[in-house]
Amino acid sequence: MADKYKYWNPILEKLPEDQLRNLQLRKFKRIFRWAYDNSPFYHNLYRSTGIEPGDIKTLDDVKKVPKTEKSMLREAQGKEPYPYGEILSVPLSQVTEYRQTSGTTGQPVYHPETWQDWEWSAESWAYCLYAQGYTAEDRAFLPFVYSLFIAFWAAHYALEKIGCEVIPGGGMNTEARILKIRELRPTALLATPTYVLGMANTARNKLGIDPRELNIKKITVAGEPGAGIPGTRKRMEDAWGAKVYDQAGATEIGHWGYDCQEQCGMHVNEALHLVEIEDIDTGEIITSPGRKGKMIITTFDRYAHPCIRFDSKDIVEWSSRQCECGRTFRLLPGGVQGRADDITKVKGVLLAPTAIEEVVRDFVELSDEYEVSVTKVGDIDAIAIKVEILPGHESNLETIKMRLTEELRLKTNLRYDIECCSFGSLPRFEGKARRFKDLRNKEH
Amino acid sequence: MDYKVKEMAKQIAVIKKSAIKLKELSCGIQAVDKNTERILASVKMLEINISDLIKV
Repeated sequence: MADKYKYWNPILEKLPEDQLRNLQLRKFKRIFRWAYDNSPFYHNLYRSTGIEPGDIKTLDDVKKVPKTEKSMLREAQGKEPYPYGEILSVPLSQVTEYRQTSGTTGQPVYHPETWQDWEWSAESWAYCLYAQGYTAEDRAFLPFVYSLFIAFWAAHYALEKIGCEVIPGGGMNTEARILKIRELRPTALLATPTYVLGMANTARNKLGIDPRELNIKKITVAGEPGAGIPGTRKRMEDAWGAKVYDQAGATEIGHWGYDCQEQCGMHVNEALHLVEIEDIDTGEIITSPGRKGKMIITTFDRYAHPCIRFDSKDIVEWSSRQCECGRTFRLLPGGVQGRADDITKVKGVLLAPTAIEEVVRDFVELSDEYEVSVTKVGDIDAIAIKVEILPGHESNLETIKMRLTEELRLKTNLRYDIECCSFGSLPRFEGKARRFKDLRNKEH
Repeated sequence: MDYKVKEMAKQIAVIKKSAIKLKELSCGIQAVDKNTERILASVKMLEINISDLIKV
């Protein structure tokens, strides 16, 4: 078995659970002490609740530490030491890289990296990529905008670290990227799920190229739920004839989760992070498998901008499965299943947008694109979905609508106003897609 | 497989000590200081991967 799977660090990745928890406790104490001593933001936060580094004696004590969230980081930034504010825990002169979040949920959060922290970012991605079979034999294509948003920047450096040949596919449109892939014959591709599907469509429909003929062997997706949604993963794998693997991370947190070659869920990199799952309603820490909650995460080894008990809003659950790969890092089935701030009540029913994607992407007659909008008609919520019918299936429109109505009702307990659009009429996205629009607040 | 964690950790400490000593000897030569800082960043990754198992 040892030869079948790849480990960036077999010692840590297969560490017996008692030793892993012990390591996590020691590392939590270390970063907590660091933040307390070096970040005025954290120092004041902890002083205000009366907790001190010496109070952490067991992993159970961790829950006494106040949580942080994105709004707190936003509020702290824009001040001295400019622009990071009092979270910054190293002298400004040690900062060598500026990064920021995508801004999907509001004002981007600024993120400073020292050279050491940036090495760490690449290191954490290396765990992921090596587990997915990347080696020095690979040539990887990164079709993203190399810009302020962190996106796949650290993946680029991790690929270099592993020894892969990296093709930085920025500064090109989708057609040019596909032609460059055909020209240079990379073996691997890294992008958002939306863009992986979008590239395949562009190759087929605008360039007349079957993506399967481009000989990409593996694809790593990040930035959105996608590989964790069976229908979406299948679409990507079918379109490219490649294995598709998931990765999870965020600018503030780093790269904390990855599929291995077994593709049976996302491993949490528990040597570099402490993940707690919190019940959304009660705040109780969930330790048993099968109960969904939001992820509270601590990053152990990043010092300039510590991330301690950060409320990521990602919806996850523990798996009861032990992965065949031999890693002792726990699994999250389906990876990130959605975001707590995306879950909304429609007609009194809790709805996660990823549930809609699971249904739509299982219909072979529909394209990859769809758009959901929630509005209010009088006092009553209304939910509508636009889907695209693939060419050749137009004559079955009424049957498709009936089946879609039924499948959506079964999955989400809601009845939708369905509009079938012609192929190519819905918006296409290059980065993170925004397919769910809640228009109720705007109307009132 | 038996990994030689303690021996590796010892060698990592030697590299770190050597890099710090090199920086002390540099008299501020930037070509030495800055490249040594990068070595030390890599040493930290070795510590995270190996040395932390025995000495956090």
